[in-house]
Amino acid sequence: MLEILIYGAVSSAIYAMLAVGFTLIFGVARILNLAHGAFYALGAYAAYVFTSLLHWPLFIAAPLAVLSVALFGVLMERFLVRPLRYSQLAVLMITLSVSLAVEQGLFITFGSEYRNVPSFVAEKVSIGGVDIGGQRLLALIAGVLVLLLLWLFIQRTRLGAAILAVSQDPEAAQYMGIPTNRIFSVVMAISAGTAALAGVLVSPFLTVQPTMGLLPMVKAFAIVIVGGLGSIPGSILAALLLGYSETIVAYLISSSWTELVSLVAVVITLMIKPSGLLGRRAAF
Amino acid sequence: MPLLEVKDLSVRYGKALAVEQVSVTVDKGELVGVLGPNGAGKTTLLKAISRAIGSTGTLKFKGQTLERLPPYDVVARGICHCPEGRRLFPELSVLKNLQLGAYLRSNKAEIGEDLERVFSLFPVLKERQQQQSSTLSGGEQQMVAIGRAMMGRPELLLLDEPSVGIAPRLKGLIFDAIEKIRKDGTAILIVEQDATATLRIADRVYVLEHGRTVREGRAKDLAGDEYIRQVYLGV
Ligand SMILES: Nc1ncnc2c1ncn2[C@@H]1O[C@H](COP(=O)(O)OP(=O)(O)OP(=O)(O)O)[C@@H](O)[C@H]1O
Ligand SMILES: [Mg+2]
Repeated sequence: MLEILIYGAVSSAIYAMLAVGFTLIFGVARILNLAHGAFYALGAYAAYVFTSLLHWPLFIAAPLAVLSVALFGVLMERFLVRPLRYSQLAVLMITLSVSLAVEQGLFITFGSEYRNVPSFVAEKVSIGGVDIGGQRLLALIAGVLVLLLLWLFIQRTRLGAAILAVSQDPEAAQYMGIPTNRIFSVVMAISAGTAALAGVLVSPFLTVQPTMGLLPMVKAFAIVIVGGLGSIPGSILAALLLGYSETIVAYLISSSWTELVSLVAVVITLMIKPSGLLGRRAAF
Repeated sequence: MPLLEVKDLSVRYGKALAVEQVSVTVDKGELVGVLGPNGAGKTTLLKAISRAIGSTGTLKFKGQTLERLPPYDVVARGICHCPEGRRLFPELSVLKNLQLGAYLRSNKAEIGEDLERVFSLFPVLKERQQQQSSTLSGGEQQMVAIGRAMMGRPELLLLDEPSVGIAPRLKGLIFDAIEKIRKDGTAILIVEQDATATLRIADRVYVLEHGRTVREGRAKDLAGDEYIRQVYLGV
């Protein structure tokens, strides 16, 4: 029982990190970013390159991995997505292309074999008799912390207020003197950065290989549909639901059934409440 | 030199000309009205001035060209736009909406002063500052919209139909506030449906029809103009 509680929390935190970035860039810039899973994979590979290959210390490698993927996201938005913003379909196609290109790029550069990233924390921790890898616990703590910081940033800072304004009415935001394009860049950096951080954090205990971004991408999409596209509390709630349902299914039935959970959740949501649990027009 | 100088301004949506060769000036501290039927191009004119849409022709503010500037630079130069339909940030509080109006400013003391000024203009907003703006009445929302634009401390305020859909009692309050804003030294370019009120408070008025200027002149003179009396004042 406690095992489910702890492992479910770890999955939920990682899902939430992925889903929040995905929903944020949609809510603010109306970009349905199919390259979001690629950011996650790039984060994991960057961690691999910086730690396993270059042997940089972790406190440099991890932030650098996150920053470089954030930069990649910003460049993608600026030069590939922005010129196509007039069409949702074109945005979908270009982000899908980026996603496939990243996967191929990783395949060509690193091959298809699994790569290992050393654990940041090797110790095992015992909570109430349940053993849990320190790395998983770190992922949980970091995930919660990042979401908390993001929340504070958006609610308490001037830039955060501008992000909310653009997500609720981009034209009116312009009349306030808010440079909407710059806001898109900031949000893209946050979105890509959190996805990359998720990738960095899981890289020691999940398999690092070129297609690793696909499933989390599908999960993030599912969570965002269940939670309501554009709603951050909705995606956190849905991440918890999905993280726990999957963990429970894995325990009660078998782990090969877990991937079905998100798909069933999506179908049920779309049939019963297509706008999602907390679906509204805007982010937050 | 006028504060705002718009000369031979044209705007197209695709092939359709929404504004054709319109010239408008606003002097420092002046209150200028724009009247015209639905679809005349009034909103389009204001959007072109704040650079939310592209246009051809001359666009000058304090002698400097606005052409090619992004909208946020127009705000930085001192033009604030209170758009048609209020366009508040619906899920944010009244206070947050007002604070966003001061987005480009950094002097906290001055922003605080301006906030107090907005509250003295519209006392009801002071009581409601923590309320989510979408839950306000239409009239209150309009007050927030005007207040939010004033939080940018503009030299020129663009107002797009501030009295539309508002109860008569509140309408008077809105027009009083507009006159006060002007008295405090802010120039105003106001688009309105209410011709009577506009002719009463404005110094000069332009009448737009089908994207063209069909009349222009001092409000006093136009109020006596036969065509204006028949079509816009209904007397
Ligand atoms: N985004 C747009 N795309 C195409 N045509 C537009 C667009 N916005 C306005 N128009 C057209 O341009 C013309 C002028 O519109 P505008 O909104 O400026 O009129 P208006 O004078 O403000 O009218 P109202 O009093 O109803 O607000 C209209 O014919 C309108 O249909
Ligand atoms: Mg209009």
